[in-house]
Amino acid sequence: MRTLFTAAAMVLGVFGTALATEGERVQVKGEIIDTWCYFSGVMGAPESVVGSAHHTCALWCAAGGIPVGVLAEDGTVYMVLKWEGDGDVAGNTLLSVQSDVIEADGILHKRDGINYLIVEEVVANNGITNLTHEDFGVVPGFAIPKSVTGE
Amino acid sequence: MLRLLIGAVLAAVMAVPAAAEGEFAEGSQVTGWKNLAGRENALFKAKVVDVLCELTGECAEKCGAGNRHMGLVREADGKLILAAKNSQASFNGATVDLAPYCGQNVTVDGLLVGDPAVAPTKVYQVFAVQREGSDKWAKTKRWTRTWKRNNPEADGKKGPWFRHDPAVAAEIGRRGWLGLGAEADKTFIEEFY
Repeated sequence: MRTLFTAAAMVLGVFGTALATEGERVQVKGEIIDTWCYFSGVMGAPESVVGSAHHTCALWCAAGGIPVGVLAEDGTVYMVLKWEGDGDVAGNTLLSVQSDVIEADGILHKRDGINYLIVEEVVANNGITNLTHEDFGVVPGFAIPKSVTGE
Repeated sequence: MLRLLIGAVLAAVMAVPAAAEGEFAEGSQVTGWKNLAGRENALFKAKVVDVLCELTGECAEKCGAGNRHMGLVREADGKLILAAKNSQASFNGATVDLAPYCGQNVTVDGLLVGDPAVAPTKVYQVFAVQREGSDKWAKTKRWTRTWKRNNPEADGKKGPWFRHDPAVAAEIGRRGWLGLGAEADKTFIEEFY
């Protein structure tokens, strides 16, 4: 079986973008999240690494080039590949919307279990509505430096 | 601060040995980060791609040179694996480390990560890359070096990069640590600390 897959992969490799597709037009509503902390559990449970508790860490991860996602109410995570015409989304492009709940029109590409989203237009931005700091403080605990907290 | 960060990461690394023997685990040399959800060693051959280009045909020179998300089209099964993280322990993705291999065939060593209850499929933390035909492995730790080169005014300050990154600092200045504004920060700090 693996040989068969290898042969198929070699054929696709020759033709480069043979798997490029049109995608599906979608409307997505959800929270902008840091996908590494959300998927890996490295900082804690999923509910603690979203919203205001994790806002500063989400800024760090986005600036560090970790994929930013949109977490929909049904739990689906959409990996953002392009944002209102800008394909350079690994870095500072999405810092200003981290942790916000947005509504977007875009194109969805599904590949091997992951939802990839081309955000064409943000039609609404509701800001940060997930006030997780009330339950979790800040995650990680050192997000706000001691020089600010006075500890 | 750096001690706190290292301590947190070490605690995460040492916490729960939950290494899973995945289909691609053979030969993998990665030993750390043992508490990651669904952690699975994975060493495999792949072609390095810019994910946006791979999916839509909208390509950029040098796969975006570190500014676009990178993927690995696995030779064994043709699956596109999203590279989400490099080997460094300070919030660094894989884009800067993989972009130099754009379009090339490589072998990668790393971890597939993700709890099936949360993630439909696992993402990849790449620790090392070996170019096809080479016997040398390159560790994925370019990110901070590149950041220092791009931010000479911030480099050299005490503490890790994320405490001094100009864009991050500007955003915290604009919306605060919680993202809710200065008043919300003030109230939180008074009540919590």
